[in-house]
Amino acid sequence: MAKLNVTNLKKSYGSLEVLKSIDMQVQEGEVVCLIGPSGSGKSTLLRCLNMLEEVTSGEVVVNAQKLTDKNTDINKVRENIGMVFQHFNLFPNLNVLGNITLAPVELKKASKEQAKEKALQLLERVGLKDKASENPARLSGGQKQRVAIARALAMNPDIMLFDEPTSALDPEMVGEVLNVIKQLAQEGMTMVIVTHEMGFAREVADRVIFMDGGYIVEEGTPQEIFGNPQNERTQDFLNKVL
Amino acid sequence: MKIKTRFPKLILFFVVLLTTLSMLSPLTNVKAAEKTYQIATDITFAPFEFQDTSGEFVGIDMDLVAAIAKDQGFKYEIKPLGFNAAVQALESKQVDAVIAGMSITDERKIKFNFSDPYFDSGIIMAVSEGNDDVSSYNDLKGKKVAVKTGTEGASFAESIKDKYGFSIVTFDDSANMYEDVKTGNSVAVFDDYPVLAYGIKQGNGLKSVTDKEAGASYGFAVSKGENAELLEMFNTGLANLKASGEYQKIMDKYLETGSNTAATEDTGFFGLLKESMPSLMTGLKMTLILTVVSLIIATIVGIVFGLMRIAKSRLLSTIAMIYIDIFRGTPLIVQAFFIYFGIPAAFDFRITAFVAGLITLSLNAGAYMAEIVRGGIQSVDKGQMEAARSLGLPYGKAMLKVVLPQAIQLMIPAFINQFVITLKDTSILSIIGINELTQSGKIIIARNLESFQMWIIVGIIYFIVIMILTKVSNVLERRIKNGKA
Repeated sequence: MAKLNVTNLKKSYGSLEVLKSIDMQVQEGEVVCLIGPSGSGKSTLLRCLNMLEEVTSGEVVVNAQKLTDKNTDINKVRENIGMVFQHFNLFPNLNVLGNITLAPVELKKASKEQAKEKALQLLERVGLKDKASENPARLSGGQKQRVAIARALAMNPDIMLFDEPTSALDPEMVGEVLNVIKQLAQEGMTMVIVTHEMGFAREVADRVIFMDGGYIVEEGTPQEIFGNPQNERTQDFLNKVL
Repeated sequence: MKIKTRFPKLILFFVVLLTTLSMLSPLTNVKAAEKTYQIATDITFAPFEFQDTSGEFVGIDMDLVAAIAKDQGFKYEIKPLGFNAAVQALESKQVDAVIAGMSITDERKIKFNFSDPYFDSGIIMAVSEGNDDVSSYNDLKGKKVAVKTGTEGASFAESIKDKYGFSIVTFDDSANMYEDVKTGNSVAVFDDYPVLAYGIKQGNGLKSVTDKEAGASYGFAVSKGENAELLEMFNTGLANLKASGEYQKIMDKYLETGSNTAATEDTGFFGLLKESMPSLMTGLKMTLILTVVSLIIATIVGIVFGLMRIAKSRLLSTIAMIYIDIFRGTPLIVQAFFIYFGIPAAFDFRITAFVAGLITLSLNAGAYMAEIVRGGIQSVDKGQMEAARSLGLPYGKAMLKVVLPQAIQLMIPAFINQFVITLKDTSILSIIGINELTQSGKIIIARNLESFQMWIIVGIIYFIVIMILTKVSNVLERRIKNGKA
C-alpha cells in the first residue's frame, strides 16, 4: 500500500474551489515535487496532507490512517509528518535548541537531555552546531530554514512536506537549503516538495506533478515532464520558467 | 547599577507580601466574629462619627454605642461605609444595624425598626462667613442651596423650596457640601444643627443665620424583623446611661462650646501632610493591594475569556463576548453597587466590601484584559500556530508554549495601561466604604475640613505612585524585549 494516498480530494474556500478532485499516491521513499503556476493549488494540496487545511471532501490516508476521519487523532499522525514552511516559522520566543527540542519534550518523545543530544546531532547534520544557543532572529534566512528542517526531523518523521522551502531566501542561500533536502532524499526519506526550483526538482525528484487550476494536469518522471511534456499547459508553464 | 536592577524585584516582593497578608486577615476575622454585631455608620458626620487624628472613630454615636455595649455586654464592629451605603447595607442585610445620626422618619420605618430616640436634632441654615446678604429664607429666591442626600436638612429644604423659590444641589458628604457654599456655588446650606455647629466651631468658614427648626429625632436602626434583641439592648442601655448621667457626659464632650477646638490643629500644608500621612499610607496600601490582586485575577480571567473569544466554538465565543460587552458597557460604580448590594440582597448572603470591591475590579479589568489578550494573540503570525501544530503539538500546548509567550510580549504596553487605569479605578470603590486612598482622604477631610489641601495631597500621592509604577514597568518592558527579541 502507498505511504500516502489521496482520493477524490476537494477543497473550497466558500464558493471558490481551489482543489478539484485530486488523486495522488506517494510510495515509501519516493520524492515527489509539485510544480505549477501561482494559485494552481499546490500549497493547498500539501497543507491538506497533514490537515493544516480542512478538507471539503475526499480522502487522505497516511500510513494506513484515514486523516479525513473525525475519529483519527490528527496530532498523533502529525508527529510522523514533518513540515517545512516558506517563511520558516521558527519560534522567536525560543532559541535554536529550544525550537528543536520543544515538540519532542512536550510530547514526551524524549527526556530533555536526550532531546538536546538529538538536536545537536541534527544541527551538526545541517551544519549549524555552533548556533545552538542562538536566537532565531539573528540567523540568516538559509540558516533559519536549515534549523526549521532540523526541528521537523527531531520528531523522527517518516514523511517530510516542504512548502516552497527556498522561495523566501536570497539567491545565495538557496543552495545550502537544497543540499540538506537532497541529502535527506538520498537517505530515503519520503518527501513531497512544492517548489519553483525546476533544476532542483529535475535533480532530486522521483516523480514530478504539474498542477494548474486545482487539477493535476500531468505527472511523470523528471525526464518525462521536463524533457517531453505532453500537455499544452505544462509546455506553456515550462517555457515561461525555464 | 545594582540598586537599579533590584528595585523592581523588591517592589514586586513587597506587593506580593502585602497581598498575601491582607488576603489572610479578612478571612480569619469573619470566622471569629460570629456573635459580633456589624454596625454601619457614616464616615463624615461629625460630631456623631468621625476619625480623630490617631485614626480612631469617635463621636456621639461611637461613644454611645461603646457605652451601651459595655452596659449590655454585647460585641460589635463598626463599619464606616458612608451614610447612603450604610442605609443600603442595612436594607440588603449586609450589616445588623445602622447608627449614623439617622432621623426617624415614616419612610424609613417601613423598612427599619428604630430604637427610642437618642438625640433630638433640628435644622439650621448657614451661609459663608463673609456673606451678609442672606440672613433668612426670604433671601434665597433664585439661589442655590446645598444639602446632603438623605438627610433631614435635605427634606426640610425640599419642603420649603417652592415657597421661597430656591433650587437644591445635593452632595454625598458634608465636607463637599460646605466647600460648595464657601466657594459660592451655593449661597446657603441646610444641615442638622449639631453637625453644622461642630463644623463652624472647627472653622469651616460658615456661619449660622437662622434659629433651629424643630426636627425629627435620631434613632438606632435594625432591619425589620431582625436583631430584635439588639434593639432591646440598645433601648435598655440608653435608658441606663441617661439615668446614670453618662449620656449627658457624652453630649457635653462633643457639643459643649470649645471642647474640640482646643485640640492642636496644624493646618499648614506640611503640618497637614505630616498629620494625615499615616492614614493616607494605610489607604495607599489598600489601593495597591486592590490593584495588584484584582489585576492578577483579571489576567487569569482575561486569558480565559480572551481565548474563548477566539475559540472556534460559537457558544464559547458568544459567552465571552457577552461578558466583555456587559463589563465594558456599564460604569464601574454601577457594577460595584450591583455586586456589593444587589446580588447579596437578592440571594440573601453577605460579602465584605473588600471582597465585593475585589470581585468588581477583577471582573471589570478582566473584560478589558480579555480584549487585550485577544488582540495580542491575533497579532501573532498565524504561521506560528501552524508550525507548532505541524509538529504534533495539540492546540492547547501550541497556544501555551508558542503563541501566548509571543502574545504576552505584544500585550505589555496595553497591560501597563490597564494597570494604571485599574489603580485609578480603585478610588471609585470608596463609594462602598473601602478604606483605600481616596476614602482615607475623605475621612480626613471630614475631620479637618481642609478639602483643598487634602485633595492636592491625595492627588500627588496617586501621581507619584503611578509615575513610579510606569517607570518600573517601562524598564521591565525594555528588559523583556531585549532578552527575547
